Amino acid sequence: MNDLSRQSFLGADCDMVVTGTTAAIVGLCGGGSHVAQQLAHIGIGRFVLCDPDVVEGSNLNRMVGAVAGDAVLSRAKVDVIAERILAINPAAEIARCKGPWQEFSGELRGATSVFGCVDNYADRAQLETMCRRFLIPYIDIGMDVTEFGSGGFAISGQVIVSMPGRACMRCLGFLTDALLTAEAQRYGAAGGKPQVVWPNGVLASAAVGKFMSMILPWYGCGTGPAIMTEYDGNTGQLFASRRLLTLEGRRCAHFDGPDDLGDPFFRLLPGA
Amino acid sequence: MRATFKLKQDLLIEVHRDLSRPHAFAAERVAFMACRLAATPRGICILAKNYLPVDETHYEDDPTVGAMMGSSAIRAALEYAFNHKAAMFHIHRHDHHGAPRFSAVDEREAARFVPDFLKVAPGLVHGALVLSYDRIHGQWWNPTTRTFRSIDEYVTVGFPIITQKDSSR
Repeated sequence: MNDLSRQSFLGADCDMVVTGTTAAIVGLCGGGSHVAQQLAHIGIGRFVLCDPDVVEGSNLNRMVGAVAGDAVLSRAKVDVIAERILAINPAAEIARCKGPWQEFSGELRGATSVFGCVDNYADRAQLETMCRRFLIPYIDIGMDVTEFGSGGFAISGQVIVSMPGRACMRCLGFLTDALLTAEAQRYGAAGGKPQVVWPNGVLASAAVGKFMSMILPWYGCGTGPAIMTEYDGNTGQLFASRRLLTLEGRRCAHFDGPDDLGDPFFRLLPGA
Repeated sequence: MRATFKLKQDLLIEVHRDLSRPHAFAAERVAFMACRLAATPRGICILAKNYLPVDETHYEDDPTVGAMMGSSAIRAALEYAFNHKAAMFHIHRHDHHGAPRFSAVDEREAARFVPDFLKVAPGLVHGALVLSYDRIHGQWWNPTTRTFRSIDEYVTVGFPIITQKDSSR
């Protein structure tokens, strides 16, 4: 086990909390690879790693921990990141989920929190719905590169904490039916989106900071982190989203239906 | 099989606020928590959904106990369980800090009425919870062994996430 004495300000029970925490990470390339390794350094005890892909040469510009040989051998991203985690913390327990995350919802529902590091809105919407169903905080990170008309580019991104009972990604206006429909219509037509390592690192660090403030709040009092932080990659600034101003005192109505929690057809088996 | 009880921080605040209200004659308040259930890799997860205070008129005036529910309180809860396919947990609070425990009266009464919920909502898990100001202890009724089992872990979901292991064992 790592010596965690330099983070003892997080509380007398810091070691026990981090080793007892399960972090699930869906998507292990640009954002997820950063998140996984930071959590390993912190001493998180259990991981659920989900990604269906293998390492390719085009991932090496941003997937920290992956090396050229991983791409040559087409190694599963899950195995590469699991190896990195274990190199940092050999005591970590890791569930390796090599496939679409939807096939591993059993593993995900036992998580303390789920990090969504995916690059499409449909997965985000489904992940948030699954997390709300099992009262799991969902932390979403994403970045975008947009071309200006004048030929320049804008790098932007966001970190969202979707906390059960609080504003969701629809409340924040981040997910809309129009976006999901437009994405579905483009299905299969989109090529690789531009991605670079440094914005992913900034956003992953912000996400890990929000996660740590949830499990080991070091600030003593207050209401917790901003649930949506935006990133302007051109100026290098992170700031609480102005969208939060419109949500004061409002409750989320998107996940409050009679059947929005738990397994709809749960039955306790005899002999359990 | 491990049992985890999860509830939203806002709901826990609502529960404490309601249980703090004085009653006309009862020394404490009682209520039910309607829950949904999920299977997890290590057992079951009990997910608190709605807090259902016992109606003012459904208390019986019994000075030998903190609060005594009348049959109409149980009937209303059974009806809710039937109509909503809900896992039902009786809930009350002992006014102190630290680990709460069921009293002998709590255990005797729970053993009387909790199994009845299986008649209206079979296949689900029902039980009882006792709170203190800062902790939770609970039991679920295992229909196979016809005994209570302690809930292993309690998670309050919010800022912060508070995980509390059961301290009864």
